[in-house]
Amino acid sequence: MTSAVMGETMVEARRRLREALLEAGGVVGDGKSAAAASPPLQTPFGIAEPVEGREVTAVAVGAPLRESRDAAFADGIQRYIVEGRIGVTPIIRAYVGAAVLDRRDRGLLPAKHEAEEFIVAPLERLTDATVARLHETGLPVHDCGVAERQHPILDVQLAVQQIEQRRRRAEVSVVAAFRREFPDAWIVVDGSLRAYDEEARESRLLGVIKSHETQFLAGVDLETALTLPQAHRTTVFRRVGGREDTIHSWYLRLWDWVGQDILFGLVRVERQRGPQVLDEIEDVCSWLLAERSPMSTPDTRWDRLLYPIHEVENYLKARAGSWW
Amino acid sequence: MVVERTEGRKDGKMERRTVEVDERCDAPPVAVPPDPIGRVVATERLPASPHEFYFWTEVETPIGIGAIVRVEGRARTVYAVVVDAKAYSDLADPLHEVRVAAGVPGGHVAPTHRTEIRLWTAAVLRQVPQEPLQPVPLAEVFLASEQDVQVALRMESYVQVAEPTGIPIGLYATGGVSAPVYLDANFLLGPESAHLNISGVSGLATKTSAVEFLLKSVFTHFPDSKGRIAALCFNVKGPDLCFLDRPGDLTPEDLEMYARLDIEPTPFDNVHYFAPFKADGININTLRSHADLIGSVQPLVWGLREVLDYHEVLLNRDDLDAKAAAFIDFLIDRVVEKEFRDEWGTTHRVRTFSELERLFRAIFDGLEASGRGDTWRTHHIATIRKIRNRLLNISTRCKGLVTDDGASEDLPFGTFEDRSIYVIDVAGMDQLAQDLVFTRVVSKLREHLERRDLGVDHVIVFADELNKYAPGDGPDTYVRKMLLDISERGRYLGLVLFGAQQFRSQVHRRVVGNASTTMFGRMDMDELATPGYQILSQATKIKLATLPKGELMLRHPHFTQPVFLRFPRPPVMTGPAGVAAYPPATDVPFDEAVMRQLVSLDRRVSPNSVAEIIADRREDDVRRALLATRRARPDDVLAYFRTALGPRVSHAPTVSAAAGTTPLQSVEDPYAR
Repeated sequence: MTSAVMGETMVEARRRLREALLEAGGVVGDGKSAAAASPPLQTPFGIAEPVEGREVTAVAVGAPLRESRDAAFADGIQRYIVEGRIGVTPIIRAYVGAAVLDRRDRGLLPAKHEAEEFIVAPLERLTDATVARLHETGLPVHDCGVAERQHPILDVQLAVQQIEQRRRRAEVSVVAAFRREFPDAWIVVDGSLRAYDEEARESRLLGVIKSHETQFLAGVDLETALTLPQAHRTTVFRRVGGREDTIHSWYLRLWDWVGQDILFGLVRVERQRGPQVLDEIEDVCSWLLAERSPMSTPDTRWDRLLYPIHEVENYLKARAGSWW
Repeated sequence: MVVERTEGRKDGKMERRTVEVDERCDAPPVAVPPDPIGRVVATERLPASPHEFYFWTEVETPIGIGAIVRVEGRARTVYAVVVDAKAYSDLADPLHEVRVAAGVPGGHVAPTHRTEIRLWTAAVLRQVPQEPLQPVPLAEVFLASEQDVQVALRMESYVQVAEPTGIPIGLYATGGVSAPVYLDANFLLGPESAHLNISGVSGLATKTSAVEFLLKSVFTHFPDSKGRIAALCFNVKGPDLCFLDRPGDLTPEDLEMYARLDIEPTPFDNVHYFAPFKADGININTLRSHADLIGSVQPLVWGLREVLDYHEVLLNRDDLDAKAAAFIDFLIDRVVEKEFRDEWGTTHRVRTFSELERLFRAIFDGLEASGRGDTWRTHHIATIRKIRNRLLNISTRCKGLVTDDGASEDLPFGTFEDRSIYVIDVAGMDQLAQDLVFTRVVSKLREHLERRDLGVDHVIVFADELNKYAPGDGPDTYVRKMLLDISERGRYLGLVLFGAQQFRSQVHRRVVGNASTTMFGRMDMDELATPGYQILSQATKIKLATLPKGELMLRHPHFTQPVFLRFPRPPVMTGPAGVAAYPPATDVPFDEAVMRQLVSLDRRVSPNSVAEIIADRREDDVRRALLATRRARPDDVLAYFRTALGPRVSHAPTVSAAAGTTPLQSVEDPYAR
């Protein structure tokens, strides 16, 4: 079979498959290939229960807010390098940074920033002399713990967890610092509010989650959420489990996903529970819809990445410079 | 309270600083260093080099194209001028804006301004220390202070010295900072380099105004130690230079600039005007002909000698073959202003065109009568006839400037006065006459400067419309040769050319190339697209194309980059204002013109007396007497004029057909009655 014939066959096969999907009531995707397999999900499922109504339904959101809302936006970054190994034990140098940019009159200005460079290693596997030598570098040295057996990859993953933890700590710290100065300000953070303790999750803190690794809904509810039309939200539900019980959440479709992947333009919003969640949900959704502009291109996540959050990332990258 | 004051620095220089003064107590002021306005950035694609660098500023910034900035490195200070600018945001694709706005430009206003940048390109003016020459440090950028401007333009080497040679040319003004800019007299007026060339579109009065202001500045600040200086201006069009001795209309802003530049805002107090007569030989051919002003205009009248000396200007190449040139040389060497005895016994003394014509007539008559053939003293009669025609035609074409008969009236070569202006109004002249005036006047200046007997040591010659007189293409004219000669050798003599034109690209490149100082007013974009402007950035070109009145771009040997600056209106009346205030007189009959000119010389002269004196006198005699009177400027004008005119010669009554003979009538002519 020649390559041309093979090409025609593939196109024909694709056409037939897409027709079959449409006939079955489905939608066709963007046709992008997925050559690399996604890493295994750490926490694919969560538990939730409806707060607004008995089941999850789609609710149309009003027009995007026309006025710019003064608000602050927070995010963090992390970088690390395996600088070397003692035997098979990795010695990792890491950098984390977090910042808050304050938006006033449509302009973003840096308000808070924290950054830290440190060493992470499974200290138990190192001799005292080696640990002392690491301290002599002048960089803080943090322990990432050990797995039950030595593993060159698992040890690095443990270190990365430690780095992520320190990054989240920096994020919480800058948000707290900003909050002390501006108690009434709206603050939008990139990601879940889970890292913030209940006191920190006061009413005007919003978490915008663009990765949908953990799914809290199932069945029809899930389908309703993941097939939301543009400018629609789900009804509000509550995360269940430990300190997350007080977090209310809903999905919001920023951009039309038809012809794209199902998660295209879909964000999940978190807010500390309270009467204001439902009272202000229309206002908050209109506001977030307005944040589609400016687009945060050329970032590949532009359909879910709010421009101010994108700018916080850029700011942090600029502060980190060519750190390696 | 924050105030500005000038303070000394550790390196001995002066710096304008902002200081905070505590008004509540007598504590000494605390120096507040000026805030940086930008920071140098360099990438592999846009690196900083020793001659160019990039810096960014806030979106709202006081600087613009032409602003001078200072980069403060740890061990290096760099002065530079902004030559280009870019602004861009992080927008990846314009379509993204369309998409979020749903295709309606005013439909959606984003809640966040995109991050944007003002990225400026600066060309280095000076680095301190100069050696080793290194790339510009990636440091903070400051708006240049007044002192910085002086250092950046290397002006301290000729302004802050024991014998300064700075000539103020205007004010650099950007971002609230204004600083006087000086030219170096040694490079503007020689001997190091010399000449000034100014370009700009017509109609904005920038070229003439700038030169008038600069002449005032030169006369004010030219060091006495460098000798005496005068200016000679050719008024080539309209009334441009006709009112240099009349005060101009200055605004308070102009007066402030004059004060900053230490120049008196007064018109020139020593201006001499020269203009030829009109064809009638009595009314002066100038727009400065108002009764109040005409007395200060001296006629420019040349005779045979002046013309013959510059016959190459007046005769074209076809006329001037070897035979013709030989005959003219013969006339100059053997005939003109000498006793010359022809073969037929007549002695000639040829001083005027009329006397030359008598000589030619004698030659033709003699040859014809003697039947000696067609050659006279080795010159063929055809050559003699051709030269006669051409030379006598000159007095017709240049009527008013060249006189057939009578004495010449010339510039006061040899008694030029220090800091005086000599204006020759050639605006109303035929092109040929203009060429003659240019060539002869400049040649005479050169001769006298070579002999050091002009009366001054330096002469600035201002000529507008250089693209007409020294074009880059076309035939090689005598005027162009003369302008080239000034440009290339004038500075050694003290002869300096201030040339102006609309299109620099159309002027001979050696004329503009030899001008060490160049000024540009508002320029035409077509002109800016020519190769001569390739060194300028696009932004600089656009600024040049939109320059307002009173601003110009300057290049000078001490400045490594062009500088934009402002200059005040000249302290003299502009041409249009002058014509409005002093409307030109209409041409008047011969008698009245004589009377007016004598009255302008002496108010006591009675019109009736003049009418009585010139009654029944030949006009040529009256012209000659009037010229002599004007030249002498006697105390008793009327008496002098009467004496110059001479006694009346009583003529014997002659019989004329009109007076005494009855015409014959033909009875056969039915129409005669």
